[in-house]
This record gives sequence, C-alpha cells and structure tokens, in this order.
Amino acid sequence: MADEKQNGKRWVGASLPRKEESRLLRGLGKFADDIKLREMLYLRFVRSPYAHARIVSVDTSAAEALPGVACVLTGAEIAAQTQPFIEIGPGPAQNIKDYPLAVTRARYQGEPVAAVVADSAALADDAAELVQVEYEALDPVMDAEDALTDKSILHEGAATNQVWNGVWEFGDVEQAFRDAAYVVNIDRMHFHRFSSTPLENNVVIGQWDPKDEHIYYQCNNSFPSFAVQFLSSHLGVPIDRIRVQTADIGGSFGIKITSYPQMAVCALASKKAGGRPVKWVESRSEHMVSSAHGNERTFRKTRVALDRDGVITAIDSHHIDDCGAYPRYEPLGCVIWSQVFPGVYRFKNARIDFTQAVTNKCPVGPNRGYSRMQHLWFLERVVDICAHQIGIPADEMRLKNYVRPEEFPYLTPNGCIYDSGNYPKMLEVGKKLIGWDDWKAKQAAARAEGRLIGIGIGTTLDSGTNNFGQSQIVNPYAPFSGNSQGANCKLDIYGEVVVAVGSCPQGQGHETTAAQVVADVLGIHPDKITVRTGFDTERNVHTGFSGTYASQFAVSGLSAVHGAAQKLKAEMKRLAGHVLETTEDDLEFGSGEQGPEVRAKSTGKSINYWGLANIVNVNSAVLPEEMYDVTLNCRYVWRAPFKVPDKERKYGQLTLTYASQLHIAVMEVDRETFIPKILDYVAVDDCGTVINPPIVEGQVYGATAHGIGAALMESCVYDEVGNMLTSTFSDYIPITAVNMPKVKYGHVCTPSPHSYSGAKGMGEGGAAPIHTISAALQDALYASGVFIHDSFNNADSIFRVLAKKEGGQLAELVKLEKRAQANGATK
Amino acid sequence: MAIKLSGEFEINKTPDAVYEFLTDPNKFAPLLPEFQGVTVLDATHFHVKVNVGISHIKGTADVKMELTQADRPTRAQYKGQGSVAGGNVSMIAGFDLSPNGEGTKVNWQGEAQIFGRLASVAGGLLEPLGKKQVQKLIDALQAALT
Repeated sequence: MADEKQNGKRWVGASLPRKEESRLLRGLGKFADDIKLREMLYLRFVRSPYAHARIVSVDTSAAEALPGVACVLTGAEIAAQTQPFIEIGPGPAQNIKDYPLAVTRARYQGEPVAAVVADSAALADDAAELVQVEYEALDPVMDAEDALTDKSILHEGAATNQVWNGVWEFGDVEQAFRDAAYVVNIDRMHFHRFSSTPLENNVVIGQWDPKDEHIYYQCNNSFPSFAVQFLSSHLGVPIDRIRVQTADIGGSFGIKITSYPQMAVCALASKKAGGRPVKWVESRSEHMVSSAHGNERTFRKTRVALDRDGVITAIDSHHIDDCGAYPRYEPLGCVIWSQVFPGVYRFKNARIDFTQAVTNKCPVGPNRGYSRMQHLWFLERVVDICAHQIGIPADEMRLKNYVRPEEFPYLTPNGCIYDSGNYPKMLEVGKKLIGWDDWKAKQAAARAEGRLIGIGIGTTLDSGTNNFGQSQIVNPYAPFSGNSQGANCKLDIYGEVVVAVGSCPQGQGHETTAAQVVADVLGIHPDKITVRTGFDTERNVHTGFSGTYASQFAVSGLSAVHGAAQKLKAEMKRLAGHVLETTEDDLEFGSGEQGPEVRAKSTGKSINYWGLANIVNVNSAVLPEEMYDVTLNCRYVWRAPFKVPDKERKYGQLTLTYASQLHIAVMEVDRETFIPKILDYVAVDDCGTVINPPIVEGQVYGATAHGIGAALMESCVYDEVGNMLTSTFSDYIPITAVNMPKVKYGHVCTPSPHSYSGAKGMGEGGAAPIHTISAALQDALYASGVFIHDSFNNADSIFRVLAKKEGGQLAELVKLEKRAQANGATK
Repeated sequence: MAIKLSGEFEINKTPDAVYEFLTDPNKFAPLLPEFQGVTVLDATHFHVKVNVGISHIKGTADVKMELTQADRPTRAQYKGQGSVAGGNVSMIAGFDLSPNGEGTKVNWQGEAQIFGRLASVAGGLLEPLGKKQVQKLIDALQAALT
C-alpha cells in the first residue's frame, strides 16, 4: 500500500491540472441557460428609458392580449403582495422602499418597470414592446456630491439622498499636522465607475410550485445564502421553502451577488402563471445598464502630513461614495474599505469622513476588489503625489512607508490584524523582474528625446474572509457577525469519497483544490475524490455565509473541507480499528490493490473504503452499538475566530487574511495620439501558501486583465440626463487577450498564521493595475503639469488634461506646504 | 442626451401667412422627415407618426404635440413628447417671426431630449442625424412657403 503523494510531497502545493478543465473545455459544462424545463415560460423586462421619472400609468392590456403571453407583472402588483427588500443602512435608509419592479417612480435608466412572461423568449420580447408606460420626467441626480445637496430627492421616504455617513479617526491627527515638515493638499480625486463583463450574464429559472408552496431556483447567483435571506422576507416565504441551486457559473466577479430582485420577479411571475417555471436570461445590454456596477468614489479635500524624511504621519480626507439608485448590498461598502484602512503603510494618524449617496445610476454591487480598491487607489495616489511633490523616488517613498516585515502580525490603527507579508521583498522581486535600473536609464534617454515615459508601482492588499460584524459598524442592529463555511465529506455506499461544499465557483478551481486537501488527509490521489461544487440549499452543507466572494475559499472553504475530511478520517479509524482488531495508532491510510484502504501496520490486514462504507450503510447488523454514531458522512462547519468590532470606535479585526500584490508598469503616452501604451508589466503576488500554483497564477492574470481594462478601457459613462452611453461592447470595451500585455509573474510566500494551511484568500488582486497604471501615467506626465486625479485614463481623457487643460492640472489640484521642519528645524 | 439647434431663414410671405402655415398641423406635420401620419385632436393638440432609426435600430415614433405658444403673428412654439425604440423623446420647437421687407424672417430654435435605448446605443450618432433631419424640415418648410 502506498500513500499516493505527489512525488513524496503533499497534494496541497502541487501543480495539479484542474479537474474541471476537461468538462469545461469540451463544452460539457452545465450552466443555468442550458436548463430547459417542461412548460417553461420566458420573462422579459420592460425597462425605464428615464433615469428619473414618475410612473403615471402602466397599460399592459395589449401585451396580455397577445396569444402566448402568460401574464404581465407590474411594480404596483408586486408591492401589493410583498414587503420591500431589507435595507442594511440605519436611519433614513430604512425608509427606502426597494421593490424588484419600479412602483411609482423609476430611479435609473434600465430599471425594470414591468415583466412580461410568454411561451417563448421572442414572444416575450414582442409583448414587452406592447406595454405602454407613461412617464413624467423628473430631475436626475447624476453626481454624488450634487446628490448630497438634496435638491432632487430619489427616495421620498428617506427624504435625503445621503445613505450613510461615518467618521474614522485614529491617533492624533491635528498634532501630526502641527508637527509635519510637509503638508500636501489634494483638492479632488475620483475613482470611476466600471463593472465586470462575465462571459455568462445573469440567468434565473424560478418556479413557485403550488403543489408544495416551495420556490425552486436554478440560477447563477454567486452568494445564494445571502440572496435567500433577502428573498424570504421579501416574498413572505419561510427560508426553508426556498431551494436555490447553482451549477457552473461563467464568471461573476461579485456582480452576480445582487441578482436577487430578478429572482423575486421570476418566482412571482411563476406564481401568477400557475406554477410554471419562468426563465430570465439577461442580455448583454441589460447587464451593462442594470445588473450592478462597481462603486464610484470621490475623494475631497485630502490633507497629508509628512515628516522631513517623507514618512507619512497623517491623512485627513473626505470620501463620497456613489451607490447608484438603490443601496441593496450597500452600505456595506461604506465600511468594507476600512479592512485595508492604512493600505500597506505605517501611518497611525488618520481621519476619514465617509459618506454614501444615492444617484440616478445603476445600483452598485460588489465588484472584484469591492470597496477596498477605491481606497487603495486613493492611498497609492497619495503616496505617489507626495513623492513627486517632495522629490522622493517612488520606490524609496514606499520603502520609507511600508509596514516592515518584522512588524507582522501588524495591528492597524483601526484594529485590523495583517497576518503576514513582506512588501519590501515584493518590491525587490518586482524591480528585478522588470529590470528597474535598465528602464530608469531608458526612461531618462527617452525623456531627453521628448517622449513621455513613466514607471509606476502599485502595492495593494486583497483582504479575504470577512468578519460580517463590520456590518454592525454600519448599522448597530445588523444581525450579522463572524464568518463560517460548511463542507461535507463522506464515503458513499460503494466507498467513493464525496466532498460537498457550499461555494459557487466561477473558475477558481474549487473542485480541484478541495480534492487536493482531502487527498492529503486520506493519502489517496485527488482523482479518487469526487467534489460536488455548486450551491444547493437542500444539500444542507452551507451556512449563512456560503457562496463565492471576497477572496476566501482557500481559507474558509478549504478549512471546512479539511475539517470535514479529518472528521471522516477519525470515523474511518474507529471503524477500521474495530474491524481489523487493532488500535487507531496502528492504522495507516493509502491505496492498495483494492483501491483506497486502511491498513493495520502490525498485521498487514486491510479494509478498503467499500468495505467500511458497506458496514455502515447496508450491512449495519455487524456494527457494534458503541459505533452507532459512525455515519461516514461528516459535516464540518469552520468558523473564523472573530469578535464583534467596537461599533463606536469602528475598531476591530475585520478580515482574517491579507494577500498582497505589487505591480510595476512602464507606460508611454504617445505625444500625437495620446494613446497610453504599456511597455512592460510585472505582477508579484503573495497569497501565502499556494494550494495550486497554476490556479493562483491564472487568477493573478485574470485580476490583472480586469484591472488593466478598468484603468484604460472600461468606464460606465452617463450623459447629463442619465442615459448610459456605454451599454454595449461598442462603447464599453472589455479587455481581451488582444489588449493584454505580456505579464511577468513573480511570487513571494509569507504563510498566514490565520489559516490551517498558511494560505490566504486571493483572486481579487486589490485592483493593483489601476493603481499601477495611474502611477506610471503620473510619472510620465508630472513634468507636463498633469495630476492623474482619475482612475480611468484613456487617450481621450489624457488628451483633455494634457492638450486641452481640462481638469487634472497639478497647479490647481495639489498644493505643497513646506514648513521650517523640512529644513531640519525643530518645532 | 440633449440636442439643441437653431437658425434662421427668410421667406417671401407675410408673417401672418407664415404663422398660419406653422400653426396648422395638417400643413406643418407632413413636412417632418419620414412623416407617416397625423391625427389632429383639437386646435392645439395633434399626434404625429414619423419613422426614425439609426442603422438597425428602427421604429415609428408616436409623438404627442401641443402648440404651447401661439402669438399671432410673432411666435409659435410646439412641445412634443413621444416614444420610440425603447426610449422616449421630448422636444420643443419655436419659431419667432419678424417682418423682413415684404417677407418674413424666421428665427427658429429646436431642442430635443432623448432618453433610453436609442440614446444609449446610438449616442454619438444622434446629434449629426438630428441636425440632418432638422435641416430637411427647414428646407421643406422653405419650399412649402415659397
């Protein structure tokens, strides 16, 4: 018998090809749109052309009269039979009435106003055109700062457009400014709105079955345990009567977390149609206009204090977040950024005044790097502009300010604990990979020729495994805290090892990595382990936190899998010890001639998995009474060791692990076309112990592509009356392989002490390319008097700031105060 | 998306005659580009149907028009509201008439706000198309009054 290790090493850490690959690459994946059910109906939404309008009337008669149309739903009809969705925010935000169809007012272009259900998708399309909606246009609010003036109110009940406000203050900010050698004032910076473009859009099949009054969903929502909590209270249906199943998902990046309004409409439409299943498949334009966008954020009146060596001692700033028309998952984003409050830097004094407002744009939702990337971009811009203003090279500036390797685990000013990291090492690796000194020399030569070349660094964090107690900082009455994940590991009747998890993978390789973890526990090959991915409430594996989001599976999901496998192994030992008449210490696990087995070292006797499973499942008369609790079907719930944060101080451990990324870009701006081009690019990642190197590397490339796209190509643009001008791929240009530079990949490993394997959650990449590209463009254009104040920079926007002098002028946006202390004087 | 246009032209007709023409839907409406039909409701209200489209986005706009200013013979202004191709359009068209020798000088102003799918998908093309269509209308108006 042999322990089937990978060349004597553990499977965790092995470059095992993905188990999912064969199925997916041969077109054998099972996606929600592949599902066709008997008597299935198709749903289309009638959407508001206005960003803000009163709904005067909705006439559905012509659509209902069309043969083949099963029913039409309106907002008023839904409001009469449901409760508004839960609002997470406190105070006025509790008075926001959010229904899945607009009732009396449309608040963003593309908001669903009615839903048409018909025998075919084409018929539903035609019928939707027959619904007559009369609108009275209202003044749209297209900017968060304008929204806060409350001149035009979106939600009458709330009586204000402000969703949330809070101040984070730590240390002695004013003293730090009094002692500062330099103070840098930055008037305005803006993080733009962009989204994700998964290959597969949202899909929902909902059935309200009148036979058992259960609701059945097959969909691609990526956080179903959250969705069912919202749906249950909205629909007035006990949560145990809502079954949600997911299968393969063609990308989410967080955006599919917020599909629960469409899930509600499908269920209600099914109910009205007599229980026939109702399918909704989102079109690309619908996805662009109305699924969810990432948060847009404006940073105003930022002050930065520095000592004479260029060490940042304090930051004071006002942040205004635009969450679109309905808060939905928000205002969680108002606190999630504070998981990375100081970024990778050591400053202890800070005051951030954070406000969130609603505007007449598509509601936002979690989007890769959710809420943290906006803040990390802000910090990186601060570091770079301070470095430029004082005259310190970007790499030196970072080394002066980074949290030092010896300071880990590092306690941040707001009580978060950075588990591990080595940012100077990452910088060293990155500089070596890109050839830093060579590029510096080339840059100097190119500049002498008048070329605009810049080198930028972006250092970021990918915080994973949330403490949901941070929701109580937003609303003290929020009934959420901690985090947990469930998994089940069993020997089925014929001895097959079957693992079930509560995650919804969208390409992260959960099937493979879970098998690697169990393979190490049982000493068998991962191919002998079947992993059931995809969410199913009726498997009873999940917890209230289950899903795939926030960079956590490697920690929470695999810890649950590991725990379940250990439980199963313990039961197998008890049973095998009894059967083989030996002690548990005498047993070893591995594979023999009859497949996976447990063997007594002392006698050489063994029993294979089929034999063990047989006794428990179909031959139980031979099982002694003291082993009646052995089921070989073990559920384990892993819980993160969090406490509820101090709500008043906004202080506490908000995340368990902190993966880090350091990217370096060399960019050139063409002086004639203003096109920014990447000349060289490096991505260094530290996600602790790597479970599967190719999977990690793939996710680094994916996150890098998303970030480069966001920095240079992808922006959600609205005109002044709220028309979204980027609703197709002609105008919203997602990055593809064609636009991707060659990325040099580097790795640093600082294992996390907070996870059983040393792994940290990863995959979001901290949106490092956005920071890095901004930094490189800043470096290229600083001498031209340009301040890169916006996270989106394409040829057009660079033309505007560089040639037309429209915004982004350094002299207008940034002021440096140099105090006597800067010259060595003591205060 | 707002499209604002304005201009002027001269006609060899009296202001009163020009005013009479402009405020008669049965005479004015057929001059609209891609005109399909008009239904006059009363002295100040009518519905007009015109074909509109850009590339593959095509449809019939059903526009409710109202004569909101009628100051004979110096000014006429229409307001309109309609729906087309998953979107809505609201418009204002005004004509200021002043004597010009034996004829009339017409100062005109047009503003259209376009909401919805048409503006989202065809945004950049709308303004040049709008200018082209308005020019067609003005040309037709001049021809009809000559």
